[in-house]
Amino acid sequence: MRPSTLRRITHAAAIGLAGAAVATLLAAGPRGAGPRFFHDDPLTREPDTQDASKVKPWDIDLTIDLATNLFSRPGDKTADVRAQNVNTIDEVPDSSWFTNRIGARPLSIEDAVRGPLRSDGPSPDGWTVTHAKEAGFSPGFTMQDGAGVTWFVSFDPRGFPEAATGAVVVANKIFWALGYHQVENRLITVRPDRLAISGKATFRPPSGVRRPLRRGDIDAVFARAHRNADGTYRAVAGRAIPGKVLGGFRYHGTRPDDPNDVVPHEHRRELRALKVFGAWTNLVDMKAGNTLDTLIEVDGRGVVRHYLQDVGSTFGSSAIGARDYDEGYDYLYQGRPLAKRALLFGFPLPVWATVPYPDERAIGRFEGKVFDPTRWKPRAPTAAFLRARPDDTFWAARRVAAFPDAMIQAIARTGEFSDPRAADALAAVLMQRRDAIARAYLPAVNPVVDVALSPEGALTFANAAVDAKVAAAPASYAVEWARFDNATGESTPIGQRTVVTAPRAAAPDRLPTTAGAYVKVLIGAVDGPRAWTTPVAAYFRRTASAWTLVGLERQP
Amino acid sequence: MPQVDFVCMGSSLVRRCRSAAPICLVAAALSVAAPAWSQTSRTDAVAERQAEKAKDLKPRMPPGAERAFKWVKDELIDEPSGLYPLFGSVYSGGGFTLGAGYRRYYGDNTHWDAKVLQSIRNYRLLELSTDSWNHAGGRLDVHARAGWRDAPDVPFYGLGIDSPRTAAGFGVTQAYGGADAVWRALPNVRLQGGLTYEDYSVAEQSGSRPSIDSLFTPLTAPALGLDPAYWHGTASVGYDWRPAAGYARSGGLYQVRYHRYAGGVDDFDRVEGEVVQHVPLVRQNWVLSLRGQTDAILGDTAVVPYYLLPSLGGGDTLRGFSSWRFRDRNAALATAELRWIPNRNIVDVALFYDAGMVAPEFGDLTLRRFKSDAGIGVRFHGPAATPLRIELAKSREGLHLVFAGSAAF
Repeated sequence: MRPSTLRRITHAAAIGLAGAAVATLLAAGPRGAGPRFFHDDPLTREPDTQDASKVKPWDIDLTIDLATNLFSRPGDKTADVRAQNVNTIDEVPDSSWFTNRIGARPLSIEDAVRGPLRSDGPSPDGWTVTHAKEAGFSPGFTMQDGAGVTWFVSFDPRGFPEAATGAVVVANKIFWALGYHQVENRLITVRPDRLAISGKATFRPPSGVRRPLRRGDIDAVFARAHRNADGTYRAVAGRAIPGKVLGGFRYHGTRPDDPNDVVPHEHRRELRALKVFGAWTNLVDMKAGNTLDTLIEVDGRGVVRHYLQDVGSTFGSSAIGARDYDEGYDYLYQGRPLAKRALLFGFPLPVWATVPYPDERAIGRFEGKVFDPTRWKPRAPTAAFLRARPDDTFWAARRVAAFPDAMIQAIARTGEFSDPRAADALAAVLMQRRDAIARAYLPAVNPVVDVALSPEGALTFANAAVDAKVAAAPASYAVEWARFDNATGESTPIGQRTVVTAPRAAAPDRLPTTAGAYVKVLIGAVDGPRAWTTPVAAYFRRTASAWTLVGLERQP
Repeated sequence: MPQVDFVCMGSSLVRRCRSAAPICLVAAALSVAAPAWSQTSRTDAVAERQAEKAKDLKPRMPPGAERAFKWVKDELIDEPSGLYPLFGSVYSGGGFTLGAGYRRYYGDNTHWDAKVLQSIRNYRLLELSTDSWNHAGGRLDVHARAGWRDAPDVPFYGLGIDSPRTAAGFGVTQAYGGADAVWRALPNVRLQGGLTYEDYSVAEQSGSRPSIDSLFTPLTAPALGLDPAYWHGTASVGYDWRPAAGYARSGGLYQVRYHRYAGGVDDFDRVEGEVVQHVPLVRQNWVLSLRGQTDAILGDTAVVPYYLLPSLGGGDTLRGFSSWRFRDRNAALATAELRWIPNRNIVDVALFYDAGMVAPEFGDLTLRRFKSDAGIGVRFHGPAATPLRIELAKSREGLHLVFAGSAAF
């Protein structure tokens, strides 16, 4: 083989290759090449071992990002690739992208309502405007409070009180609870006459020539914002994220100057999961421009932390009013449906044309009765969105289903809508959509979860679809046991296949008891949906006194 | 869990990787990284991969096409001052037109602008303008412009709705300079006023048609042989609640515009009225768009040059007829479109029907004598503009293909 040929191939796939390799390392060792499970499996935290302090800020052009996602298929072209940042038990470890919260750890309603809030918000006085907002549709500016903390302030558009600001704070808490790094957003009331303008503040008018910020520039912001009857303005203040701002992240590939970013983003499960979380909240504006990377210092090393910075494009309102009817139903461009409807005089009638929406101006066009999560679409598909597999959507759906009614209602109330019916309506729709997501995605794969093996050999597990009351329990499960050789990957059956009618089974007598031994258990439904008959494989390692789950394979 | 198969080792690596590239690439990586298995933990194995990447860090280098696109966008579209490409129209019937402009700001919202347009039929425009907007609390825009327009091959079919299909031709140049202001007195209410000096010169046409002088007289082509100049004052009031004038699926426009031409052959007045209504159906899956338009010279006695008379025909009026097909002192036009929206962000398709008439007296405009056409069109649009409209219209005078860079109405 010519070295140059190999070099071309490896360069062509360099990012994906490195990521794929690491992902495989995260999830499972190759058969015959080393141990299947390491002593630290399953990883609970994806390590950032290298210093990323030399990462350079970049600016992702929104038009190019949109065109790339609409008209091409960026990222790994391989079909049906398993998420590559999952650990050996098919879970997403904590990382610079994600922190396991709901569904993984106890999360109280109080925790969820607090969300990312870590302060009391802007200090009451001493607000000084440092920039007028120059990008985006919603009116806003940047200010420093009396304590010198920087806040990004955005308002509701004129004529649409509470819609945009309410969406920001509610979605902010939902996405925090789901596990994403979030900006600290607070509802505030702004009195224009109490704002000072920093002497260093500048503004870029349509001429493009930057100049000192003037009062008139701020007045122009307020002219586009919804004014309360008492002359004040309701706004959301987002606290500046700590660290050096690096720009957004793409939903495909890796950041080439971040040594720790080795898993292609389209193969990150938490980004694929936005297919489900986005559908739940109607997060239609899933673009790089709404993400943000920052460089922070952890243990003396530079680490890039990744934020879903702007999740305000959710529910039924946009930054300038109610959403278009088709948002959530169509990409901005889809060639085949476009051609079909062009030739058929507008037929077939699209779903959005007849969807009934609740009559709540503060939440806009957001409903849960007709909602079908499998058909939901953002404005433009991201590579991660398109790569989501049933095991990814199952993982995500479990988290959505973990939100109890009371938590959703409490989070909806943090929108501080003046009409309490708005919060109730928002919560009701979120609950309907949550249930639709559970119905769609939990039964789509073998939903065996929470597999455990007691020291005495009692196997227990749960059925996520049954527990969520979206499917009937199968009449029985088949359970097969095997010794597992961690070095070779070979399995040796122990005893006969057993059939149980409840989600528990006793281990066969010949279960190994020596520390370091491994067993493999296959669990599948005997009847029930077809996907349920494909067994889930659970791997346990024996310690001195217990069995520890170290591996779980769920076939999509 | 997918198992990685180490089949692509040794000399067959390249061939197999081409056919089963992704999986093999992973395997290749792992085989290259074989020492990783000397690691004793998953964390160490990940660390090794990250350490490998750390040896070859580099900022992202966009592909060439992306760099080129970004240059065009940054330099020619987004940059407020500087050169920019221009697609427009010099004069109705000029055909496909391209040009360039150079804009330079001298205030936050004020710039001067120089532009040149050239059509495939050799119609030309040079214009220097200055525009300043958002004064008086964002309610007032002011504009001033001076320019020169040359339309060397304009058809003239004669006056009246029964004019023959055979056209004479003429060339007309127009030098102009003036200013106007737009006052948004209330939400959706627009008041406009302006004054322009317009100097017309008629010349021999450059095309293959017979000269207008050979077929018409001053009686059948008013002001034939004269090169008048006018002070042209305009005033209009309109209520416009469309989301954008350049593209709309809802709302309407109700507008009256008054023109006063002073000087030239005779002073004369002209009034235009326009009503546009877009009726969205089933949440704008379809839109019924209606337009009614009248254009009338006030009074019977003033001589109005034939090229300043109300006219019908062409891509903005009677689309199944040639540009300037019908001229007279009064005109009326009614248009109905049934549009469907295959994609709300990019394209509309429409069936349309146009009917119109010209007449020497306003009272002579009778529906039974209206000329009509029908057709189908595709419009490529953005949220507020229609940069490309392609339509095929059929009338008794044949098929006409329309290419336009603006909305039909």
